[in-house]
Amino acid sequence: MLNIFSEAWQALLNFFGPLALVLVVGLVVALTYVQINALFLVWLERKVAGHIQLRIGPKEVGPFGVLQTIVDGVKLLSKELITPRPASWLLFVLSPILVFMPVLVPFVVLPFGENLQIRDLNVGLMLIFAFAGLNVLAILMGGWASNNKYALLGAVRSVAQNVAYEIPLLLSAMSVVIMANSLSLRAIVEAQQGLWFVFVQPVAAVLYLVGATAETNRAPFDIPEAESELVAGFHTEYSGMRFGLFFLAEYTNMFIVASVATTLFFGGWRGPIADGPWWFLAKVYLLIFGVIWVRWTFPRLRFDQLMNLAWKYLIPIALVNLLATALILKLVR
Amino acid sequence: MLRKTLTDDTFYLNMGPQHPSTHGVLRLLLRLDGERIVECEPVLGYSHRGHEHMAQTKSYLRFMPNPSRMDYLAGLMYNHAYCLALERACGVEAPRRAQYIRLICAELNRIASHLLWFGAYLLDLGGFTPFLYAFDDREDILAILGEVTGSRLTYSYCRFGGVARDLTPAFPQMTRAFIAKLRARLADYDTLVSKNIIFINRTKGIGPISREQARDYALSGPNLRACGIGHDLRRVEPCSVYPDLDFQTVTTNQDAGIGDCYDRYLVRMGEMAQSLDIVEQALELIPEGPIRAKGVPQEPAPPPGDYQFSYESARGLLSIYLVSDGSRVPVRMKWRTPSFSNLSILPLLLPGTLVADTVAILGSLDLVIPEIDR
Amino acid sequence: MNQAEPLYELLRSSPAVLEAQGSQSARDGFDLRLAIRAKGMPELARLFKEHGCFLEFITAVDHGESLELIYVFSAWLRPFRVMARCPASLMEPSPSLVEVLAAADWQEREVFDMFGLEFAGHPDLKRILLPEDADFHPLRKDFKPGARHGGDWFEGETA
Repeated sequence: MLNIFSEAWQALLNFFGPLALVLVVGLVVALTYVQINALFLVWLERKVAGHIQLRIGPKEVGPFGVLQTIVDGVKLLSKELITPRPASWLLFVLSPILVFMPVLVPFVVLPFGENLQIRDLNVGLMLIFAFAGLNVLAILMGGWASNNKYALLGAVRSVAQNVAYEIPLLLSAMSVVIMANSLSLRAIVEAQQGLWFVFVQPVAAVLYLVGATAETNRAPFDIPEAESELVAGFHTEYSGMRFGLFFLAEYTNMFIVASVATTLFFGGWRGPIADGPWWFLAKVYLLIFGVIWVRWTFPRLRFDQLMNLAWKYLIPIALVNLLATALILKLVR
Repeated sequence: MLRKTLTDDTFYLNMGPQHPSTHGVLRLLLRLDGERIVECEPVLGYSHRGHEHMAQTKSYLRFMPNPSRMDYLAGLMYNHAYCLALERACGVEAPRRAQYIRLICAELNRIASHLLWFGAYLLDLGGFTPFLYAFDDREDILAILGEVTGSRLTYSYCRFGGVARDLTPAFPQMTRAFIAKLRARLADYDTLVSKNIIFINRTKGIGPISREQARDYALSGPNLRACGIGHDLRRVEPCSVYPDLDFQTVTTNQDAGIGDCYDRYLVRMGEMAQSLDIVEQALELIPEGPIRAKGVPQEPAPPPGDYQFSYESARGLLSIYLVSDGSRVPVRMKWRTPSFSNLSILPLLLPGTLVADTVAILGSLDLVIPEIDR
Repeated sequence: MNQAEPLYELLRSSPAVLEAQGSQSARDGFDLRLAIRAKGMPELARLFKEHGCFLEFITAVDHGESLELIYVFSAWLRPFRVMARCPASLMEPSPSLVEVLAAADWQEREVFDMFGLEFAGHPDLKRILLPEDADFHPLRKDFKPGARHGGDWFEGETA
């Protein structure tokens, strides 16, 4: 057993050199952070929802109910993992793992602070989007493998939605990239020295936020898991910690898209005074708060309306915005 | 009709009997082509309890708790209708005060029922928050009704020849405070929901019912009035003290209204405002006096013959048909419940719509499944 | 009673109607009671439909030795309610009204479910409230609740 670990460690060392230690420590920290972040976000969501809905939300476990999600997590862990008999076993079990794994990778390049970044890659933004695109495959896999019509419908909707909304998401990010002249997240933050890109690129910022809400399957775009239509959508048949992984991935995804938004449009770790990771986290959670607020305020769009919104409005606007940005930059420089 | 071997790309989807949006135990057998509905067949009877058979096995008095179990969201109205039917059959008239009390409670119950519909409908469309707002308002009504009737959901407050007990001193004040609160809330709902672009997109033009279809399927209640037919039994065949009160029948504009989900929503919201007016007036007009008619027998027994009584419940036309042989036990008691007819139009509305529309249309018909199944 | 009602004379003179009776008291809720031939019901239903009436409900009454079908029609926007009754038999189906009025579809299925009375020409006459494999009709007077009725959905329960 130990041999395998030491050999893997050797392989890592050979491949990455001294960076291996940073990577491993970073990933351990990221993994811990993902869990704590999800616990906090679930609590925040329930608390905010409660106050929006004339309730007070969780309040029994711990001060202000902060420990409620831990208790719920323990409950999820202790639940039986049910695999429906007609399900395709291997795919069914793999799907939640495959949903969860890619959400860890973006933490490698997220710039929490000026020196608080595991590794700054010159293709950082691409890395994030590439791995964000993976989870749709896993969702399709899970929905299909469940052998449940509701799950299948949910998975199909999810694929269509993710494909449609990734385009405006990428296009709006692209307009920032041409302005910063780099795909490295640190370079993008540094390019916003004087003025945040949200003021230079307001259209792209709005497009990004709309696309990101859809990309993370949040209301009013929570079509794949629309509980009043499809029961629970693609994860109808999942129970226990397998469902928990989907849940964890959803909340971590929320964190990632909000972090990318912060980096691209809101100046990353920079603030009016005392630059640092606190500014980054404050902006991220403020954005997430906005997303939560939207979720508990609006009804859900219909599937075809969602598609129309993406293909007929968001994508053309994003394209025009990108072209205009390119043109203006060409003229100015 | 359904269940033939499928040779094309369509497939069957069983929506219910356990499904978040069928509000109880309705089962829709849908044939889908992708997400588009080709055919739909409602399958009923999952909460059939045999109320009509129960009625034949016990006396009129002992059947008293049953009507409010049929439609548990408008229980008091069913209780009210049952008492009015019995009273008319026996030739008994309740004192004026009792009639006013019943009417106030029934109208409050109508508001409670519409509020629950409002909340549940928005929940069907994916908006969770209005549900809790509606429940907050409904809770006030339940507190008021609990104050006077002693129960919250299934009432046996109306009795043969009167009501069980008089209003409490706190009642008028509680009700007035509630009327003021709900008026403000209805204005809020109007800005938050009626003008919400997503809500309008989800309901406008969805599930339209023409006036011809509505007549053919004998729709009733708000579903019918949303098609532009202002048939309201409170106006057409006024019972009890309805003639004394000034209120409007809410319909959509004859030309603009197409009887879609949005029209049904507007009619129900309008009816809540009208019911508030009715309660307010009735509170002013309510006379002093006894609450039980003098000299009525404990056990009602209508003279031999058959009797029919119709009532405008929260969901529409409720008819009770009694056949009596002069004894305390009816020979036959038929309950014509509004949701039964309202649901029968669904197989006509669904083909060609999407799964998401199914939920929007089904919800807009305001069905209570135990009332359909009886 | 509404004497100006246009349907009043039409109904009295219809060949399907054996006997027409005005309301005997204000207590029964009907403006007009008709005794009719079952065969003439579709024609009568058409008449009602043309004159702004809708089918409120169809039901049956088991008098012990005979069964009777009851049709109740009511007018839109005016207080007018007519009851038509005709004797029914388990052997001989009555004509269905589905062709004329869509509302009759489920009403007839319910009568079939509860009484076992059949309707000729109904497109899909099957049980509506009880399970499809039930072998009894609960509102008939010969129905004994609690007795074992054969179908296996009453598992283990014997009276």
